[in-house]
Amino acid sequence: MSGHATEAPPVAAAAAGGLPRRLAGLAVLWLVLATAPLWMPLIGGYDALATRVLVLGLVAMSFNIVLGFTGQMSFGHAAYFGLGAYGAGLTLKFIAASTPLALLFGTLLGGVLGTLFGLLIVRRRGVYFAMVTIAFGQVCFYVAYKWNDLTGGYDGLRGFQRAPLHLGLATIDIAASSRVFYYFVLVIFALAVGAMALVLRSPFGRTLLAIRENERRARFLGIPVERHIWLAFSVSCFFAALAGSLYALLNNFADPLALHYTLSGEIVIMTVMGGMRAFWGPLLGAAVFVVLQDYVSSMTENWMSIIGIIFMLVVLFFPRGLLGFMQRRDAR
Amino acid sequence: MANKSILGIRRRTLLQAGATVGGLQLASPFILSARGETPVKIGMVDPLTGVLSALAASEVEGAKYAVADLNKKGGILGRQVELLVEDSANDVGTGVQKTRKLIDRDKVDVIFGDVNSGIAYAMSQVTSEKKVFHIVPGGHTDPITGTDCKWNVFRICNTTSMDAAAITKQLVQQFGKRWFFITPDYAYGHTLQDAFVKNLKAAGGEFEGDMLPINTSEFSATLIKAKAYKPNVLLNNMGGLAQVNCMKQFVQFGMNKDMALGGALFELEGVEALPAVAQSGWWCYEWWWNQDLPEVKAFVADFRKATGKTPTARHWFGVVAVHSVRLAAAKAKSLDGLKLAKALEDLELPPDVALQPGKIRYRAGDHQLMSNIFVGEVHPAVGNKDNIFTPKVVVPGEEAAGTVANTGCVMKYPA
Repeated sequence: MSGHATEAPPVAAAAAGGLPRRLAGLAVLWLVLATAPLWMPLIGGYDALATRVLVLGLVAMSFNIVLGFTGQMSFGHAAYFGLGAYGAGLTLKFIAASTPLALLFGTLLGGVLGTLFGLLIVRRRGVYFAMVTIAFGQVCFYVAYKWNDLTGGYDGLRGFQRAPLHLGLATIDIAASSRVFYYFVLVIFALAVGAMALVLRSPFGRTLLAIRENERRARFLGIPVERHIWLAFSVSCFFAALAGSLYALLNNFADPLALHYTLSGEIVIMTVMGGMRAFWGPLLGAAVFVVLQDYVSSMTENWMSIIGIIFMLVVLFFPRGLLGFMQRRDAR
Repeated sequence: MANKSILGIRRRTLLQAGATVGGLQLASPFILSARGETPVKIGMVDPLTGVLSALAASEVEGAKYAVADLNKKGGILGRQVELLVEDSANDVGTGVQKTRKLIDRDKVDVIFGDVNSGIAYAMSQVTSEKKVFHIVPGGHTDPITGTDCKWNVFRICNTTSMDAAAITKQLVQQFGKRWFFITPDYAYGHTLQDAFVKNLKAAGGEFEGDMLPINTSEFSATLIKAKAYKPNVLLNNMGGLAQVNCMKQFVQFGMNKDMALGGALFELEGVEALPAVAQSGWWCYEWWWNQDLPEVKAFVADFRKATGKTPTARHWFGVVAVHSVRLAAAKAKSLDGLKLAKALEDLELPPDVALQPGKIRYRAGDHQLMSNIFVGEVHPAVGNKDNIFTPKVVVPGEEAAGTVANTGCVMKYPA
């Protein structure tokens, strides 16, 4: 990581184009997202696909708090995503048919377990950090796989449905319309991403960058490095679990593969492909990954190989990811 | 900055945008629906990758054969039929996602799938939520046409209870009442083992067993356990490639000399992947190609001509699924989900689709096809390489299935 020490921090890099340019970029991004249901069908997409992009974009962005901003490699982020999904599903199935409650409990389940687990791993670095996170993810996977009575085992958790939102005077029917649900997810996504940006721009977020760039120097400056990494990991887990809860609501279904290390790997691919040094990079990566997967898997059963080849090409030719590449070009 | 235009767009950006738009042009023909009169769209979700892929490939091949045949003869309601196949990758989440994709994006009229019981079960929840007519060609777990039956879901293959009921008597009579189960840990395995245990207990038997992940490839620990238990029969309930691997290790351990083999399904696709020494045991076949009926002989000959293969039960499931849609649509004169469902209830398959003796119908009470179960012995090929099974008893579907009340199905229709 120290090789990049001379590079400007990502938020500042985005600002290199000047404030108006950055605002224009943001305006275009939100316009694209807000109008997605209108233009997606033109390129063979559909509402649920756009929603998947947002949900997986959110989990990749939350993962990037740990990878891109703190410089730690977690290979088990699917665990918190999947726990969020199960938390939301179990709430809807056994506690109450309330979407906000499902989101709350899902986020808490993944977030709190991730936070507790984080306590155990903050002293690990590099490959050891990655290995322990994989192990925890696989523990969650096998619990869900084997606990047939509660989780439905391999067959997944069925028999729940997202419930319409009751807002006092009005009712928003996110259950019946996939388009309304897309906008519901978009609002949650916007709130979550806004909160994430605030965290990363705060002194706490700057400290994370300092740790990423030179952990030893940060330690000499008196920064409690372990506590910061733990907090960053915890924040990341809460956002990942929120994304997982939304995922369960999207499919009205949760299954153990949402906890599996293969999904953790996909989250890493999305993040690296999109650009882990850019705030919005993982969203772009998720969009490319999800849409490609959707298209190519209809054409050939060997779609995984094609995704793999594209990933290799991106890593070889755009080591900063797609967004990192574009920004660097612009900054020249 | 010198090469920047006044709009702030650089030449390279423009080129990249052009390339992207160009790429989308290539992609769109796969996505846009055909022009002219819209075809009848059938979406099929099956595990084309993973341990059940051989079975899935046969089902898809059967459906494709039937669609090609149907399109030559005028299609469904005078419209051509288009089959859209999606890979569920033997993963329930992917299966659910692909089902939603076929319904939301491709606007299919009918859904088929899946070979994997767990996926088929989860898909039935999606199709009933979306009110789309759904045929399960080859997912056996009971609740699909039992406790969780839905007005829009019909099934061609047997339930696990039917297969277990059909073969238990044979296994007990021939080999004994001490059994060891090797069962996959998912919907299919759970209901199948429960059904076997129920029948075995009624016969006064005892058992032991292991539940293993669906894609297990290494069975030595379980086989050692089985050997120590000294059962009369080993029931290998695994599916597809997992079953094949288990059989190989069973023979390698020399256990075929100590105990009999048997169970619900040991399909042609799996038997042919094994050496002759492992081709044995008593099993159920849900359809068999070597029957002495003129329409079966004609079908087998035509299928061999078209595909170069001998049809298996999985091929037949695919064929029946397509023809069921044709028959229901012709009777309903519509492709509306509810009308199709009503039309298919108690519909009797004509002999050239049923391809077996007796009256074969979809029972109205639970939407389960009441087809015969061929119980018999698997053996190394005799004469023809596909002649690896000899049916000894044909059990009528209704006899094996019991009453609708027994299945736990209470059919509810939308208001």
